[in-house]
Formats: sequence, C-alpha cells, structure tokens
Amino acid sequence: MEPGAKAFPRNARKALSDPALQAALGRTTGRFLDHRAAAVAAFPEFEATRERASAIKLEALSRLDVHLSRFIEEAEKRGAVVHVAKGPVQARGIAAQIAREEGVALAVKSKSMVSEEISFNAALAEAGLEVVESDLGEFILQLAGEPPSHIIAPAVHKSRAEISELFSRRLGAPPTDSIPELVAIARRHLREKFLSAGMGVSGANFLVADTGSVVLVTNEGNGRMGTILPRVHLAVAGIEKVIPRMADLPAFLRLLPRSASGQILSSYVSILTGTRQAGDAEGPERMHILLVDCGRSAILEGKYREVLKCIRCGACLNSCPVYQSVGGHAYGWVYSGPIGAVLTPLLIGLSEAAPLPDASTLCGACAEVCPVKIPLPDFLLELRADAREQGLKTPGEIAGMKGYAGVMKRAGLLEAVERIAGVLVQFFTKGKPVEGLPHPFSGWTERRDFPAVAIRPFRKLWKARRGVRE
Amino acid sequence: MTPTDERELLLRRVRSAVGKHGAEAGGAAPAEGARNPLAEDERLDLFERMFLSAGGVIFRGPMEKVMSDLGEILRTEGVAALFFPEDDASAREIAEALVPFGPFHLTTGAEVRGGSPAVTAGFRSAEAGIAETGTVVETSAGGRTLLPGLLADVHVSLLPASSVVERMDEALAALAAGPPRNISFLSGPSKSADIEQTLAVGAHGPRKVIVLLV
Ligand code: SF4
Repeated sequence: MEPGAKAFPRNARKALSDPALQAALGRTTGRFLDHRAAAVAAFPEFEATRERASAIKLEALSRLDVHLSRFIEEAEKRGAVVHVAKGPVQARGIAAQIAREEGVALAVKSKSMVSEEISFNAALAEAGLEVVESDLGEFILQLAGEPPSHIIAPAVHKSRAEISELFSRRLGAPPTDSIPELVAIARRHLREKFLSAGMGVSGANFLVADTGSVVLVTNEGNGRMGTILPRVHLAVAGIEKVIPRMADLPAFLRLLPRSASGQILSSYVSILTGTRQAGDAEGPERMHILLVDCGRSAILEGKYREVLKCIRCGACLNSCPVYQSVGGHAYGWVYSGPIGAVLTPLLIGLSEAAPLPDASTLCGACAEVCPVKIPLPDFLLELRADAREQGLKTPGEIAGMKGYAGVMKRAGLLEAVERIAGVLVQFFTKGKPVEGLPHPFSGWTERRDFPAVAIRPFRKLWKARRGVRE
Repeated sequence: MTPTDERELLLRRVRSAVGKHGAEAGGAAPAEGARNPLAEDERLDLFERMFLSAGGVIFRGPMEKVMSDLGEILRTEGVAALFFPEDDASAREIAEALVPFGPFHLTTGAEVRGGSPAVTAGFRSAEAGIAETGTVVETSAGGRTLLPGLLADVHVSLLPASSVVERMDEALAALAAGPPRNISFLSGPSKSADIEQTLAVGAHGPRKVIVLLV
C-alpha cells in the first residue's frame, strides 16, 4: 500500500467534517469499548494473563532467531515450504512465483494486515490471478476499491445502504436494507469461490515454533474454508508472530477476542500444521509459508522492539480519542490508531510518517487496554524526540515550542500572557480554538490548533472557588 | 539469491538484532500457576453456560426426547438434507434416526462440496469440548472429514461428556505431540458484525451450531 501518512493533518480535517464517518466511528468504538470492558470485568485472571502473555512475547523476541529456525524446521518436517522475504518487493515476487508454479487462477484470501503492507493482491493480480477477499468487511472494501479502516472491523465506515448499492452494482444482487440478507448475498457469492479456488491465502495470528503450526482466529469461518478446501494454502506472516510453544497459545487466545470484541473466544480458531496427511479426507496438498521481515528485524534491534509484541487486537484504536475522532484512513497507511502511530514510522521511516507520533493526546488509554502491555505513549514521546533529532521539525515549530516552554516556566509571565490573551480572544476568536498564531508562536499551529484561551484563567477561577482574595 | 540464502540472511539479521540487547529481559516466561480443577458436573455446567453465551444450542438428557426437539429445529431452519462422515458411526446413527422427523433426506459430504443448493445439516462427533470457552474441538485426526462443521447450514456436534476438559491447555496438550493437519475450535455459529456492527450469523460457516452432550 502506498503510504500517505504525511497527509495526516489534511486527512484528519476531512474526516472530522464527514458526518457519516463520525456517526460510524461513534457507534463502533463505543460498542467495542463497552464489550471489552464487560469481558475483562468478568475475567478475574485478566491481569495475570496479560503479564504472562507479555512475558512470553518478550521471551520469543529475545531469542527470535532460535524460535524462528525451530518454526521453519518443524513446519518443513510436516510438509510445508517456508519462504523468506526481506522487503515488500521480494515478498510480492515470491507470492507471484508460488501462484504461477502452483498453476492457480483463483485465490480466496482471508484477512491479513501484513499482506496490505506488501500490496499482496496487486502482485497476484499482475501475475494474472483473481484474488477474492473473503472476510465480509474486506470483501466489501475490495468491491469498493478502498483500504481497510480498522484492524478488526475494516468496513466500519460503510453504511448498509452503501453496501446494498455496491452489491447490486457489482454483483447484480437485488437491493435490500436487511443486514442478514446482505450477509447471505456475500455468503452465496463467496461460497462458490471457496469451492472452486485453487489456493487459499491466509495471514497468521500466531506461528507456533515447537509444532510449526499457523494459528488463525476468525468469527466468520472464512479462514477455515480457505485453508481446508483449496489444493494450496499460502500463509503470509510477519516474523514477529512466532511464539515458542503450543502451550503458550491459550494465554493469547484468552486475551485476543476479549480485547478485540469482548468475546470469550472467537467462533473459530484453526491450528494448521503442515500439509494434508496420509488418509486425510481434505486439507491442502501443498502448504507455503511466506515469512516477511519488511523492517521488523531493524525494529527488533532498537529501543522500540516491544512494539513487536502486538497481537493486532485493535483495543488501542477503540480507546484512542484521536482514532475515535478521525478513523483509520486518516493515518494514511495500513495501521491506524496508537499502534499505527508507532508502527508506521518504524516500518516506513519517520520522515514518511512524521505527523503520526503527534496524533496523540498522550492520555494513556491505549497502554491501559493493551493486552500485551506495550508502552505506546512512551514510544510516541520517544518518536517525537527522534523526529526533533532527525531534523524533522520545522524551525517555526521548534521556535513555537520554545516560546511556549519559556512562558509556561515563568508564573508571572504566564499570568501576563493570560490576561492579554483573555482580552484578545474576546475580540478575535470568540472562544474558538486558534488555528494560526502570530510569530514567534506560528510554529505551534502548523500541525495543531492552539486551544481556545479562557476569558478567565483557571488560576483565577481556582482562587475564587476557594474564597482567596486577590 | 537462492531461497536458503535469504533464510540464512534473515536468521543472521535477527540474531544480530537480538544480540544487541545482550542477555537482559526475556528469559523463559513463568508457567501458569496451579489451579484447583472443577468437579465433573461443574465442568459440564460451565461448558453449557459458555457454549450458550457464544450463541450455540445444547441438548443434554435422554436421546428419545432430544430427537423430536432437534427435528423441529432442523425443520424450522429449512433443512432438507443431512450428512455425516462415512466413518462416524454415532453421527450416522443420529442422522438416520432423524429422517422420520423431517422431510429430510441423507446426502454425502462430496455432494455438498460439489455445490448442491439444498439447505443442509452436518453431523459429526467432536474430539473434545472445552468448558472455559464453550468450545467443541474437531480435528482431522484419523483422516476424518471436517465438512459437516464447515459447509453445513446447521451443524450438529456429538460431544461425549467424558471428553469435556476444563481449560484450553488440556485440549492442546493432548494434541501437541502429533498435531493433525487441522485442529478446529468451534465456539457457536459463524458470526459477522462487519456491516454496521450488527451481529449476523452464518457469514460463511453454519448459522446454527447444536451440541448433543452424550
Ligand atoms: S498495540 Fe496492544 S492494544 Fe494495540 S492492537 Fe496491538 S496488542 Fe492490541
């Protein structure tokens, strides 16, 4: 996917003035948060499980070389072929080559974020394949030609009316405003594809080193269909998905659905090991596993390595006031919300994604919900410092910040500024946020609005409340 | 560049990256603490509660009574054809016994896979049940087909009470030594909330999942 993360401020403004998107976001994030909170409250082991899952991921990352080679060995022992790609170009090349060599014309795909990273579908389309997204949300977006906007609910920004219109235009289905009927239309269309596809493409939620297994967690059952019915199964996964042992899996299965949607367990968990075995009634004759680096080994080396613990549950998105306001597309690349604001700069380069670490109020809600305890706010701050060091802040912004710091550090000066500003706002901004400040503070407002200045400063109110006379 | 080189290079990059952190942080994760196991009836009750909360239907009790209720559910769902694995005697027995309760006819997995348009119920014995999550475990062990729980509109899973374990760990431990190609955890019907966050069942898999606890 082509990165457009630099345009965050513009995208965000557009998103804020889109009433349909605002309604969809309010509906979705709130519901996810409520369900998650209820599931966590009903699960007394949550904290202990979080600790354990975080420790397992750290263990896996700290000896990732060992666990990766164990995974490769075990998977190949059971008939899988493991491929390795350093970057997106290699990954696309390998995927296309697999499809060609296997003689596949139609592939059904279940949801995979890493495949968006490498523009997987485009690669297979160039190789002459038809690739059908089978996750309902992704299927809708594929018909619409749009990227996903939420990790676990990719089509949150689409209304049923838009979907009905899309289905009748692209699939010739009769228009309907019934959601079950829309689901049934997609089911019929996709069932045919599942039964005739030569290859099923999946991502992986986890790779189990001691058995060489690929683990998929889904609610719709598309992941199962695509990995049981077609002759070839191709799993695409980032190298950080490895966990050491099958015995580690339950901890993650207890956290992922609860954090994502508040379910105790998703409808389907598939643990897929190697190829079809002698005497099996079905299952793929060929299994390929494409392990993708794409910047992960570089992250592993540095101070942000814990971001690789992420299990893509989406809880940090739902809890983030910025995501709640602007949605996923504003982030301009595959990952959105707090995890996107950290991961995107690390994967595509800070200069390509400089506004993202600023897209946070540092309220800490994301770290509070993250099931594997990634210190997202610390990382966001750290990335801001990196941006400054790498010369990615404009002189205007730096001067603005310095000016702000200078005023904030001196109580007398602050009071004077407050008084003057309190008078000025009555004339100029009428209590609205300030979109452009005069020099030397103009740098501040290049990427953010300055909050509305109160006519009566807080300290005055405070004193009045407590009955202190000035 | 040959594939093996790429692999060696990746492992080398990763090794050097983890080496940068020295021996700090990330030893073996602590094992789970010991727990007091539930008694058998508590375990089955927990299974039932969780399976119901996942949107499943469960029958416990004498089979004669169950058959007519089950027949009625299948009729309401519009089921016309029943199928089961050839090598699954218990599933066959139940399916055959249900025929008089419908207008149902028997079909085969191969026919369903061929794309026959009939509304189907797929019957199959489950390998295990997991109480904490309300899950039935069906695997390809012994070569048995998974199609009844995959392609059917309604899935009927036969679960012996003796194979219900309390936690996922136990179910996985039993399978980890020689994992079959496909281990499927099924917890309730196929669901999607991708359209306006509204829950709809039967997205791809069965829209109804019924457990017969035998
Ligand atoms: S960073 Fe944490 S909360 Fe966010 S998606 Fe990843 S695991 Fe979930």
